[in-house]
Amino acid sequence: MSDNLARNSEHYARPAHPAAAPTPRTHIEIVPSREQRKARPKLAYGLTAVLGIIAIIAAQLVLSVVTSQGAYDIAALQLQQKEATRDAQILTEDLDRMKSPQFLAANAQALGMVTNANPAYLQLSNGAVLGQPFGEQGTSAAGASALVPNALLNGVPLVTEQTPDAAAAEAPVLTAPVPVAENGSDSATPTPPVTPQNSPELPLQNGIPAPSTH
Amino acid sequence: MARTTRSNRARVFSAAVLLCVLLSVFVVRLIDIQVVRADELNAAALDRRSSTDPILGARGDIVDANGVVLAGSVQRYDIFISPKQAVLGSREGIKESDPEIDAKARAVLTAETEALAAPLGMTGASVLAIIDAAIAENPDSDFAYVAKGVDTEMFRAVADVDLAWQYAKSRPARTYPNGAVAGNLVGFVGAEGEAQAGLELGQDSCLAGVNGEEAYETGADYVRLPDTTRVISEAKQGGTLGLTIDSDLQWFVQQALAEQAQATGAAWGTAIVQEVKTGKLLAVADYPSVDPNNVDGTEGDDRGSRAFAASYEPGSTFKALTSATVIDAGQADPLAQVVAPYRIIFPNGADVNDSSSHGDDRLTMTGVMIDSSNTGMSQFGERISDEARYESMKKFGLGRESEVGFPSEDSGDLNGDGPSTWDNQTKYATMFGQGLTTTAIQMASVYQTIANNGVRLPVQLVSGCTQSDGTVVDQPETAGTQVVSPEAARATSDMLEMVYKQGWLADQWNVPGYRVGAKTGTAQMPDGNGGYSKGYLVSIAGYAPADDARYVVSVSLADPVNMNTSAAPAPVFQQIMSQVLKKYRVVPSGAPAPELPANW
Repeated sequence: MSDNLARNSEHYARPAHPAAAPTPRTHIEIVPSREQRKARPKLAYGLTAVLGIIAIIAAQLVLSVVTSQGAYDIAALQLQQKEATRDAQILTEDLDRMKSPQFLAANAQALGMVTNANPAYLQLSNGAVLGQPFGEQGTSAAGASALVPNALLNGVPLVTEQTPDAAAAEAPVLTAPVPVAENGSDSATPTPPVTPQNSPELPLQNGIPAPSTH
Repeated sequence: MARTTRSNRARVFSAAVLLCVLLSVFVVRLIDIQVVRADELNAAALDRRSSTDPILGARGDIVDANGVVLAGSVQRYDIFISPKQAVLGSREGIKESDPEIDAKARAVLTAETEALAAPLGMTGASVLAIIDAAIAENPDSDFAYVAKGVDTEMFRAVADVDLAWQYAKSRPARTYPNGAVAGNLVGFVGAEGEAQAGLELGQDSCLAGVNGEEAYETGADYVRLPDTTRVISEAKQGGTLGLTIDSDLQWFVQQALAEQAQATGAAWGTAIVQEVKTGKLLAVADYPSVDPNNVDGTEGDDRGSRAFAASYEPGSTFKALTSATVIDAGQADPLAQVVAPYRIIFPNGADVNDSSSHGDDRLTMTGVMIDSSNTGMSQFGERISDEARYESMKKFGLGRESEVGFPSEDSGDLNGDGPSTWDNQTKYATMFGQGLTTTAIQMASVYQTIANNGVRLPVQLVSGCTQSDGTVVDQPETAGTQVVSPEAARATSDMLEMVYKQGWLADQWNVPGYRVGAKTGTAQMPDGNGGYSKGYLVSIAGYAPADDARYVVSVSLADPVNMNTSAAPAPVFQQIMSQVLKKYRVVPSGAPAPELPANW
């Protein structure tokens, strides 16, 4: 046998068990050529693959954790939204009942206002008075007792009944200087304050004196 | 040696058999779980970790012509408790009876119920009573209502008390921010949200929303798992119902009507404002009127709208219709002359008399209208056939429900199927508004027709239903019909202006600066037994400005015991007409009304 296989001659030479057949247990290995050695997959590739898998698993884990965290964030935000919606609803309900004609009329009356039953118009082009401005001083309809009930207004105080704290909060609005109407529409007041806005220099637009605005 | 081999083989064989059996058991089990019962188990698993929630399909709003919400949907909360948990909690889980523990537990429970009751405006004792009653009935009682329909602020206050045995469930509810303003029209819903009256009922198909359902999975702490939400069925949001009503005007009209109705002791009343050139109802007031927020505060009969649902004999306001019809037929004009005695017995036996005794008056048709003479009007009315008058009434919209289609709307009754069923008295009575019935809405529509040059426009209350996707449905018809010629309408209008100027209420219904056409009515009311009662239904219908009519106002008061004449509605008519003209910035009339002689 002349080949280039390495043999373990020692092992070969040792006698086997007498009962067993002398089967030769040779360890044979092909010695790779240089080319073959070159062609053999390198450890780096294997490592890359394994690391890649680990990286993917790790990334998946991180993403999953982040998503779960997102779920908690969403839940928290949804709760917040729910509360905010409730806030908005409370305020809208308040506003809607404050806007009701019953409440406005009761407040206006509490502040001493009356409605004018007799409309009159001043035609600016020729100064004619249309309608009869001096009739009754007011109509009772805007007021007496609340004959158009609204159960939602039970216990809601009028502006004149508000506590001093609430009134103080309103005060800045009341004490603010009342701006003079700029288009001269306040000429109905008996002695109109002489202000630059009321000067006759204002141009007439369709018979109505109006400042030119841009 | 051979035995050993055999026993070895047997062992191997039995092991293999055992293995096979085991394996097949596993395989069977696997197939059973993964294939046979897969769906069932999957569903059960999903059920364990998934929840379903309804997606709220909110009931739509009812808004007025300017978008003011008359009926809106809000969230309300039912507060309930677990009586069992309340008792167990206070005893700290100890079930055995022991005087000391009992007393201590009772004290804890009392304190807790007081804490819960305070924000609800209840007493601790009443909550304790609820618990005791529930426990007495069933010691394991896990559910009892404490309060229903509390608002959000109260719900939050209750939640802040933080009791382990108290829960709350939200549910949609209805709110009416303007209370009784248009409550007669809007109607109301029941405790469970079911439509019960008014437009809530009549337009339920527009307003009703349909709840959807969504399912999602939760973790152990009930936080939604991402990407698990799926919609089982979409919710359908209710549509927004738009009305032609102006809520501010509606309030004014209701207030003015209620004031005078109370002052005159009227049983009920209606007031209507209708736009002449569109047929839109701007205000329809009823007295008494329901506050939909507090339905129980109003008698059952007063919860609807009598303007639509009650028909009555209109009386003399009806003479405008008869006049317009006779003039349209060419059989009379405002200057046509008759002699009107206090009483006439007609050839067919009909006996007609006026409301107050007078001699033989030489009246023009205008004079007949001003004096509201039944004998005079009968002589004009008989100039055309009963059939022609009946056809005219139908063209004016009488005897059938208006285009509004209000729930339980009355059609009125033209006394049977027409002249063939009228008796001799009815043939004349129908000329001046007795012997037939109309609703207040129908009478307003008659005046709208006369004011609008004889063109009757469909009565509008609903301007449309805006669905959640933005499309508008249920838009009303707007095509008018020429009922009488423009000339006949104008002539009738001229006479109504003379009634306004020269009638006996001229001072009381005066609206300075405007030309107005109006007519009173004082009709006998049926007593319910086929005869007439002593009460009268007094009414005024009119419009302004008469030279270019824009608004019809019609006011009726039933049985005003303190003032049983048409002077009762006059101040209401005057106030409402003034308010309407002012509100809509109607330019005062220029030229005065043409003068027409009342006598000859």
